[in-house]
Amino acid sequence: MKTNRVMQIQPLTSLAIACSNLHSPFLATLKRPALNGVNCAIRAGEFVTLVGLNGAGKSTLLRSLVGLVPIQKGTIHINGVAVSFKSLRQRQEVSILFQGGGLVPQLTALENVLCGSLGQRSTWQTLTGFRRSDRLHALQLLQELGLDAQIYQKTSHLSGGQRQRVAIARILMQSPKILLVDEPITGLDVLAATQVMDIFSQLHRQGITIVSVLHDLTIAANYAQRAIVLNAGRVVYDGVCENLPAHLSLGRS
Amino acid sequence: MKFFASRFKSAWAKRLLILGGLILVYGWALRGLKLDLEMLNQSVPYTIDFISRLLPPDWSVIDVAVNALVETIQMSLWGTTIGALLSIPIALLSAHNLTPSWVRWIANLVQNAVRSVPSIVLGLFFVSATGLGAPAGTLALGIYTIGYLAKLYQEAIESVDPSSIESLRVSGASWLQIAQYGIFPQVLPLGLGYTLYMFEYNIRSASVLGVVGAGGIGFELVNYIRGFEYNKATTMMLVLLVVVIMIDGVSNQLRRRLETL
Repeated sequence: MKTNRVMQIQPLTSLAIACSNLHSPFLATLKRPALNGVNCAIRAGEFVTLVGLNGAGKSTLLRSLVGLVPIQKGTIHINGVAVSFKSLRQRQEVSILFQGGGLVPQLTALENVLCGSLGQRSTWQTLTGFRRSDRLHALQLLQELGLDAQIYQKTSHLSGGQRQRVAIARILMQSPKILLVDEPITGLDVLAATQVMDIFSQLHRQGITIVSVLHDLTIAANYAQRAIVLNAGRVVYDGVCENLPAHLSLGRS
Repeated sequence: MKFFASRFKSAWAKRLLILGGLILVYGWALRGLKLDLEMLNQSVPYTIDFISRLLPPDWSVIDVAVNALVETIQMSLWGTTIGALLSIPIALLSAHNLTPSWVRWIANLVQNAVRSVPSIVLGLFFVSATGLGAPAGTLALGIYTIGYLAKLYQEAIESVDPSSIESLRVSGASWLQIAQYGIFPQVLPLGLGYTLYMFEYNIRSASVLGVVGAGGIGFELVNYIRGFEYNKATTMMLVLLVVVIMIDGVSNQLRRRLETL
């Protein structure tokens, strides 16, 4: 196992994400926990892709990093601070982009992006609407992501790629340092997929740590610096993005 | 091969068992009705007699009918609105994607309790509280509406895309913020559609409430039938029919427009 290589070089506290012997609760459908002893370490500023077959535990791992999965055994540290189930204390630093974006389809693109600032404002502050500075920030983000024409359109009327970019803009309202992304380009055409991946690449250059679940191994190899291959809830490969198909099928046997 | 054959057989055995069970249940229910075929045969002339006495409608009471109907619509409008407003908190508290299970248990108990009271009983209760007339009927409709709208609202809330709620929750939004920005916009079209349907339905149930003196067209209807003035009762029913058809048409249009929201 090469999983602890990074951990050995650097102390736990200087890592953006550190998981050690992570176990999630037993699942009767899989006859094992979704996460069955995951060890991984991600430094600040890395672009890492999580790959693996369906049911390997990629989404569960991402969700556990933001406290959405009860942890049976093991630890998670984000920037040196321990994460536990339902503790969303690190939310300013970590943001997660769910598969499909998780937008509210009846709201406009602008309103959806503004929802990204809800966590930073109290219930009273947002009861009658959003403050001007938030609106300007949201407008700026939408323009930067090339959505000038879609600002006041309902997101149910947008294309898949446009929706995904609105979801990214919403995440960026929180100015995260670590961005967790679950299958951002599933169901998108080549052009839209490239557009979305280029945004992540740009965010990475701005210093944001990115951990993305990807199914397209070519794209994974093109964009990510490192791949972590999961199989049956364990890390089976952790290293450069070379020969990924082989590592993936290796895990299967 | 043997494995598949046995699977196939057991599937058929299961289907036969279900069929047998259904026949038993329906047979049991039929026994409870104490159906007498002889009596059914003899009932035909009585039915024809009753219908023939309804005709022709007596149009001289059309003004009474229209006035009573206007009152019925007014009752339904206020009753549905009161019920809808009361249903919202109950629905929020009984939705499984929002509320912890012990609160849900209480909210569901309230829902079921309200739903199991027949509208006639509610009518009688409010007639004894506020006297004969439209106010009693309006309040009865309000409570009656909760039993249905709370459930329908609850289902609308529960059908909201869970990932949209989770996204807001993870970003640190409060319970009320999630309700305001995540759930409300998604529930609004469906919820308004249900409310419109309830308004329409309450016009019909308001006619039943009239029987116990809680105002509306039912009051006049029952009075005419009790006084054997069937032709006048027919006028009431025809006017009600026309209005129900009209409101159904309008609310269908509105609901279709809501769906595109």
